[in-house]
Amino acid sequence: MVHFLRKRIISSAVPLFCVVLGVFFLARMTGNPVDLYLPLSATAEQRAEFSAAQGFDLSIPAQLWNYLADAARLDFGTSLRTGQPATEMVLDAFPVTLQLAGVTMLLAITGALLVGSLAAYRPNSLADRFASLLSMTAASIPDFWFAVMGVLVFGVSLGWLPTSGTLGGPEIWVLPIATLLIRPFGVLVQVVRGSMVSALSAPYVKIARSKGATPLRVIFGHALRNAVTPVLTVAGDLTVGLVNGAVIVETIFGWPGIGKLMIDSILQRDFAVLQAAVLLTAVTIFALNILVDVCHALTDPRVRQAVPA
Amino acid sequence: MKSPVSSPPPGRRRPRTTTTLLLAGTVLVSSGCAVANSAGGDAGRADGRTLRVVLTQEPPTLEPCEASLTGTGVVVRSNITEPLVERDPVSGELHPLLATGWKQTGPRTWTFDTRSGVTFQNGEPFTAEDAAFSIDRAVNSDLACNVEGYVFGDDDLEVEAVGDDRLTVTTAEPDPILPLRLSFVEIVPRTTDTEAKVRVPIGTGPYAVRSWQAGTAISLSRHDGYWGEAPDFPRARYVWRSDASVRAAMIDKDEAEIAVALDSMEAEKDTTAAYPNNETTALRLDGREAPLDDLRVRRAIDLAVDRPGIIDALLGGLAEPAGQLVPPGVVGHSEEIEPVRQDVAKARALVREARADGVPTGRTITLVARNGMFSGVSETAEALQYQMERIGLRVRVRMADTATQLQYQLRPLPKGVGPIALLIMHGNQAGDAAFTASQYLLSDGPQSTFGSGDLDRRVADAGLLSGGKRQQAFADLLAHQNETVVQYTHIAHMSGLLGLSPSIRYEPNSATGDELRLAEVRQAGAVKR
Repeated sequence: MVHFLRKRIISSAVPLFCVVLGVFFLARMTGNPVDLYLPLSATAEQRAEFSAAQGFDLSIPAQLWNYLADAARLDFGTSLRTGQPATEMVLDAFPVTLQLAGVTMLLAITGALLVGSLAAYRPNSLADRFASLLSMTAASIPDFWFAVMGVLVFGVSLGWLPTSGTLGGPEIWVLPIATLLIRPFGVLVQVVRGSMVSALSAPYVKIARSKGATPLRVIFGHALRNAVTPVLTVAGDLTVGLVNGAVIVETIFGWPGIGKLMIDSILQRDFAVLQAAVLLTAVTIFALNILVDVCHALTDPRVRQAVPA
Repeated sequence: MKSPVSSPPPGRRRPRTTTTLLLAGTVLVSSGCAVANSAGGDAGRADGRTLRVVLTQEPPTLEPCEASLTGTGVVVRSNITEPLVERDPVSGELHPLLATGWKQTGPRTWTFDTRSGVTFQNGEPFTAEDAAFSIDRAVNSDLACNVEGYVFGDDDLEVEAVGDDRLTVTTAEPDPILPLRLSFVEIVPRTTDTEAKVRVPIGTGPYAVRSWQAGTAISLSRHDGYWGEAPDFPRARYVWRSDASVRAAMIDKDEAEIAVALDSMEAEKDTTAAYPNNETTALRLDGREAPLDDLRVRRAIDLAVDRPGIIDALLGGLAEPAGQLVPPGVVGHSEEIEPVRQDVAKARALVREARADGVPTGRTITLVARNGMFSGVSETAEALQYQMERIGLRVRVRMADTATQLQYQLRPLPKGVGPIALLIMHGNQAGDAAFTASQYLLSDGPQSTFGSGDLDRRVADAGLLSGGKRQQAFADLLAHQNETVVQYTHIAHMSGLLGLSPSIRYEPNSATGDELRLAEVRQAGAVKR
């Protein structure tokens, strides 16, 4: 397993370096941020002074060298917009997104395993058709619309939930999590169902049934373990999407996460924050991918055996 | 036959797996709840003592010398810090604040008497020395404060405290509106950092910053040593939501007392108040590029625009047709300048005439507009495109973000991009057309594409006048622009929409968008003092 992990980490280093370079060059292609940060009537001298202070007057190779040297020390500089250290801003925002994504995926996977498995146990039954309809609807609903409707219906009309914000008890999690949950849940139910239909028709399941195993034991004790690999793969991809930034939820519900921070830093040409946020997100996504691979290896011995010692 | 998946019986490992999953889930959920609860900086519950305001975005900084930025000024100005002089947004008159009086004591020198008995929120007494320090820091330092470029231009000021309660300010050239300019300088203690901008300020205002939870909320508490009338609310809390429908919902749900910048679809609600916000929208025509370099074509565009139609259909009826860049209430605004009435036939004739004289009227004009400039901006750009094409011009719309739009708006203007019609929204919060003219009308103005020598002279001459003569001179030069230069197709004097809870009393005015004075907000049941 250690060898497996080492190999995956080494193979991730090159794409990670490409991300570091890519964000540097793409950010600078969006234009000089001077106009955004100086008064409209700032003189040419003031603009030149500002550029020099921020290092924008250096050649691109010189800027790149400084950036890489600072990044190696995990120093991404200071935000142009707020004057705060970029690393600090990103580290403040990231846990918010990570928790939203974590709770969402935990609920989505649990719900999908239950609903998808039960639907697959009797294909084409009423429960199966209802589960398919539910999952396809969930996977198709635009999250922006769902979020705003949630605010208006459950926040304003019914008054059951707060409209937005981060202060309060569990109720403040309901609308943001529901908005984030709906699509992953829909997709995962379909994946679980498909995978379980195939697993439940396998010979070992028939043997288990013939030995008198209860339906719940057949589903969750025998078939699910072998059907879980594709679910893990899809769940990994969906988690990556959430970690990339739950922008809609963070924007509408006022959660100060990494997605909102990245969008703001792109619009404000706040290079330091953007670079720090993208790098941290990229590292997390690589770590997530490795975690998914490890889970594959744990659940499927063929994966472990495929890795040479 | 052995199964290809030769793992131990699933049931044997399940307890450990289940326990691990449950443990992970519990930790995740509880840590998440912990963050949510510990954030503790949301709008909070209605307690009758906290005034909850929902903004569009988090202020980038609360540095007082950046208070001319809307996002900063709306929190800082007259709440945390105060200037020497304040402009009444309704009458346009200057009122004493930290200065009790002022007079011109020389061709270039003004003398200000400062108020005694005022203390800063840190307990230090306010003196003329602090006022001199604050002006010097904002205008003469290397901090590149926004207020320096926006209000004072390139020249430094000579500032000197004469005793504890008097200071003199000397300008490089005679400046009849120096007190108005100084209404933009927020006063801070002389101990404030001069090498770097501060993020959280200390001032003399009715509220002090209690906490700033980054990304979540800013909390203020009443300054008990405030020299003026104490505000009704002991505390105030700012939160921010980007989506206008959520801001409106927070008023409906009693999660906020004030919500700024609502959409026009909220206009009919009892909890929504409209107010003129001193913003004017216009198309700036780049007169350096054909076909916009032809006066007839620029006049034709002016005649092509259906201002009442755009206002009724796209701006929710919440604006007034405009014929000049400054709205009523600003020195220089002329009631005699009428908005141009749409005359499509005349506009077509002008374009035909220009075409016959060899003007390339078939060249595509790019109409640049900024996303989020105002509610309905993209629809307005499309309406303008249609109305310009209707008279025989070719137009394409380009919607841009703020940074891109600024490249078109500010000098040095981009080259090789063809003829540009830029949709602008100009806000004159200073109350004097000099601030508009120096930016938008001068031939080399930072936000102007061209002009005329005659107009430049008129702007320079008007800037030296005061009183009625100043008003008349700026009114004349605005009319002159419309007749001889026609760089702008004025569209509308805009309005803002404010959500107000029934539990409070507050009357928004033209300064509300930039300077929301919390001390003017009263409890609905309170007797007006």
